[in-house]
Amino acid sequence: MAEILLSEAEKAFIHHGVQDDLRCDGRTRLDYRPIILETGLVSNASGSSRLRLANSDVLVGVKVELASPLSEKPLEGRLEFFVDCSANATPKFEGRGGEDLANEICRFLQMSYMSGDTINLAELSVLTGQQCWVLYVDILILECGGNLYDTVSLAVKSALYTTQIPSIKVATMDGDQPELELSEDPYDTKRLNTQNVPCLVTLMKIGNHYLVDPTPEEECCSSSGVVVAVSGTKKITAVRKIGSGSLHPESLVSMLKTASEVGTVVNKILMNKLLEEERAGKTQKVGFMR
Amino acid sequence: MDMLTSKIFLRKTKRGKVLKVVREHYLRDDLWCGSDLCKKCNQENSEVLDDAPISSSTLCACPHYVVVDTNVVLHQIDVLESPAWKNVIVLQTVLEETRKRSTNNFKKLKEIMATRKDSFYVFVNEHHKDTYVERKPGESANDRNDRAIRKACSWYQTHLEESQQGREKKKKVQIILLTQDFKNREQALKEGIPAYRVDEYVKSLKDFPDLQEKLAASHSDDNAENREPLFPEHWAPTRIMTGIKSGKLLQGIFHCSRENFLEGSVSVEGQDKSILLQGHASLNRAVDGDIVAVELLPEDKWTSPSGIVLEDQEDQDPGDQIEKEEALLTNSTKGKDLQPTGKIVGIIRRKWRQYCGILLPSVLAEGTRHLFVPAERKIPKIRIETRQAATLSSQKIIVAIDSWPRTSRYPLGHFVRALGNIGDKDTENEVKLTVLLLEHDVPHHSFPETVLACLPSMPWMISQEEVNCREDLRNLDICSVDPPGCTDIDDALHFRELSPNLYEIGVHIADVSHFVRPDTALDKEAANRGTTVYLVDRRIDMVPELLSSNLCSLRPDQERLAFSVIWEVTPNAEIKKTRFTKSVIRSRRAYTYAEAQCSIDDPLQQNELAKSLRGLNKLAKIMKKNRMEKGALQLSSPEIRFEVSTETNDPIDVISKPMLDTNSMVEEFMLLANISVAEHIFKHFPECAVLRRHPVPPESNFEPFLKAGKTQGFTLDVSSNKSLAASLDAAVKPDNVYMNTMLRILATRCMMQAVYFSSGTVAQVDFYHYGLAAPIYTHFTSPIRRYADLLVHRLLAVAISADVTYAELLDRKCVQQLCNNLNYRHKMSQYAQRSSVALHTHLFFRHRVQDEDAYVLSVRQNALQVLIPKYGLEGSIYLKEKDEDSKSAFIYNPDEPSQTCDNITIRTFDRIVVQVSLDSKYVQHQKIAVHLVQPQIAGLSVEPIKTVNVSEPTPKKLKSGN
Repeated sequence: MAEILLSEAEKAFIHHGVQDDLRCDGRTRLDYRPIILETGLVSNASGSSRLRLANSDVLVGVKVELASPLSEKPLEGRLEFFVDCSANATPKFEGRGGEDLANEICRFLQMSYMSGDTINLAELSVLTGQQCWVLYVDILILECGGNLYDTVSLAVKSALYTTQIPSIKVATMDGDQPELELSEDPYDTKRLNTQNVPCLVTLMKIGNHYLVDPTPEEECCSSSGVVVAVSGTKKITAVRKIGSGSLHPESLVSMLKTASEVGTVVNKILMNKLLEEERAGKTQKVGFMR
Repeated sequence: MDMLTSKIFLRKTKRGKVLKVVREHYLRDDLWCGSDLCKKCNQENSEVLDDAPISSSTLCACPHYVVVDTNVVLHQIDVLESPAWKNVIVLQTVLEETRKRSTNNFKKLKEIMATRKDSFYVFVNEHHKDTYVERKPGESANDRNDRAIRKACSWYQTHLEESQQGREKKKKVQIILLTQDFKNREQALKEGIPAYRVDEYVKSLKDFPDLQEKLAASHSDDNAENREPLFPEHWAPTRIMTGIKSGKLLQGIFHCSRENFLEGSVSVEGQDKSILLQGHASLNRAVDGDIVAVELLPEDKWTSPSGIVLEDQEDQDPGDQIEKEEALLTNSTKGKDLQPTGKIVGIIRRKWRQYCGILLPSVLAEGTRHLFVPAERKIPKIRIETRQAATLSSQKIIVAIDSWPRTSRYPLGHFVRALGNIGDKDTENEVKLTVLLLEHDVPHHSFPETVLACLPSMPWMISQEEVNCREDLRNLDICSVDPPGCTDIDDALHFRELSPNLYEIGVHIADVSHFVRPDTALDKEAANRGTTVYLVDRRIDMVPELLSSNLCSLRPDQERLAFSVIWEVTPNAEIKKTRFTKSVIRSRRAYTYAEAQCSIDDPLQQNELAKSLRGLNKLAKIMKKNRMEKGALQLSSPEIRFEVSTETNDPIDVISKPMLDTNSMVEEFMLLANISVAEHIFKHFPECAVLRRHPVPPESNFEPFLKAGKTQGFTLDVSSNKSLAASLDAAVKPDNVYMNTMLRILATRCMMQAVYFSSGTVAQVDFYHYGLAAPIYTHFTSPIRRYADLLVHRLLAVAISADVTYAELLDRKCVQQLCNNLNYRHKMSQYAQRSSVALHTHLFFRHRVQDEDAYVLSVRQNALQVLIPKYGLEGSIYLKEKDEDSKSAFIYNPDEPSQTCDNITIRTFDRIVVQVSLDSKYVQHQKIAVHLVQPQIAGLSVEPIKTVNVSEPTPKKLKSGN
């Protein structure tokens, strides 16, 4: 993650703040910063969202395409993640600078979606063993303002929520060749059930305490933390430790517990907001011209 | 108001990917309504719609503007051509839908709108901020378009209402929607828009009672639903597509048999043998030229073409019944020469156009349903509805096909227009000519102003700058050799001795590309026409006459621009050097073939030109010999010329075109020039050179030819063009001199069509020209009359850096498209030429009955096909009249094939005597009748008549044969 130069005094100040449950921006340890979310702003994509968590800015587009399913999972479609770190975010991302981070996020997202509880991939099957939908989730990181994992996961979930999968019929089967027929009505689409899609919650350990939604400065003060994927059913689908420091098993258990609670709340709020947006219907798009 | 919206739709690509396509769609508030009465729009003098339109409709007496729905344009386009239509609003929605559904109708509509700018107004409703509608969930594209049309109508209503508030209610202009769609009409009425069916409306136009004749047959014929279907169903398009993909079905072009209307074939690309179809059910409503899907029958059901000649001879309207066809299709040769047989299961694309022909005399003259007989034999009769049968029965008319429902024996169509009276002597020829040109799609309108504007102004002189950048060949003794009466001279020759062992010969071609510059109106017109069409009594030019007969024509003693090919050759016709140059020449003399022949033969003529001609002739003979040794074919097709009376314009005699040495001399040098140029342009433009190839015919094509040879006891070798040429030369019978010519005629018919192509689209091995035995060939020598030559000129000019190039010339796709058009035009012009000859043959025989020598071309089960060499005429002698059972008992032997009666046997190539006359039982449908004179067979042959002339004495006795 983007390194920030911080003096010892500043670090100590942050440390003490966390101890007193009052962070530099006035939050308690389990408070999130404000989130701005807009969906459906990329008209060419099948589903899209842009999420801004304080200074972290992520744009996600989902494209659906027909492909043949993997031979080991003939009944399922699949999700493919791709993260692109824009050099706009930080000069370090220039060239192949962002690749490591991108791969890291990508891999963790893939892992957290692997559990059968999160998303029903069988919904993406078109024709058993022959054709299925593949959702290409393209994530563009535009700005790094800390807590990238959470930002990305919320944006991905929102984009998946709005994704419209064209309805397709198998018109005729002739020998081995299926003939697929695309519905002529562009509104004739189906949506994925994204209720249980996991949110990632990052917990950073600073001193003896841990906190959610760290700012870049706080990330700098912490030596270790965990990223936990929490599904809508409160289940933890993936865990990953970050930072070079160590964690005591006891604190790890308590961190996981907290993360699962926080994750469930975040999940719920996000779903409510998405529903609210959908109910509002078609409104003027805001995009980046705010 | 948001002026930017986007249109989103999904599309499946060929490779099975699903694409989401998003198009930005901008709306405007400055699109005007086009009405004269409107006070709100800022339009300037562009009002099309009248302030106070006059209604001639009894259906809607108040003044009104008409909005047409897409289905009106799609199904009733011919009605819209009438001047009855005034104040018509064409919505963009309608235009776009039409373009998507039928390019033909779209083109027609565009033409109508262009010619009648004062009556048709295009309202761009899709971009108007108040009339644009977005597709709703669950709404089909069609419904959305209907809604858009209704929205535009109601917008007009309210928009105009505001400008005419002071008017009396009766004088207020209304908007009327014409639509054939029941649902749309109902919905419109609900929304307060007066809506009518187009036939209702047209019938109510009291000033134009004739217009309703042009209404296309309504598809919802009430009692048609109840009738028993006569034909099998056509498959749904998706089913056909999957069938073709999986190889179960074959896609090809349907050709109806010339001889038997119940038989046809489908030529499938990449397959040697075409697929045979027999009977109504198998043909399944296909019309000649349609692209169809065919299902092959299992091999045990394959048959061979029946030998009989069958015409759909109902002189009476049989109604919607299919006659028992087993009797018509009796097939005696089952088990032999089986051909893949199939049946049509669906039609992929109709190639319907307008057909010219006559009405069948009907029993019920006052009835409205009549049968139309097209002039082309391959097109089925068409059922039309008209009230003017009495007046139309003596006219040539044009009819379009609308549909062919399963319940109908014949396709349904409608009357488009009458061409003129056939019986009328003054107009007859003119009408027949128009018909002929229309039938063959020959563009024959006079050149428009825009084209004429591209011509150089007269008097025209070659400028000094032009001379400077060309080679000056005015000092050379150049002459041209052409047929008599030729005014478009595009080639000239010269010959001179450089040293005793080195000659220089030159071919000089009119430099048409100097006058016809790319991308001008003139160029486009020429590209469309493709070729000059030579008919018996006139010529339809590709470029305006000023060019074709004057500025480009290499007239004697006038300085002309030319494109020259100059070779240095040894006396053995070995080419030492070839060069190409743009030049200025002055031809010394324009010879005819006969004059040139005289000069060569007359030893007293010792001038430069005569010497040159002799030199050229000597070289040409050597070159021809070399070419023949390589395997070039000498084929034959009967060519004749009419001697036309100067007063009546009627043909008075027929002469076959003589073949002189000089003919082949000129031909030889033209071939040489073409080959040299082809090599050169291909070297410089391997991707986009315009070349000409003549594909090697598949062996199966030669079957009738081989069979005919066998009857005469010749084994013919068709494995290569060389062996074919050799066996043709060997096949000579001293007692039947014409036999060899006949064989050559038959061989010609086995050949493929030579075609133009762009070199980038075909593998180099396929460049071969079979007939000429040349590995590469093109056309360079007649740019005045062929557009392909013009393209070749341009390429060559670029190759020798005498001209600049342009984008389309180097794009092989563009070039191939041009070539496709040229091939089509070329083919059509040949057909037109043949029809023109046939037409004059009819005129010739109008007052004559003559006995002539004839040869049997082929022997069929119930007929003899004979060729009368003197007129190049072909005809059938039917051996069994339908009503006579067994009076003339001919026994058909399909193996030979031969027909035997008593002790007389008739075989292929036998010489017989026939009587030729014009069968004018129907004034409209005249045809040449051929009757047998010798050998005499009771009940079939007729009495010999020696040159009987009905109205005028013949000046001389006509000699038969040649």
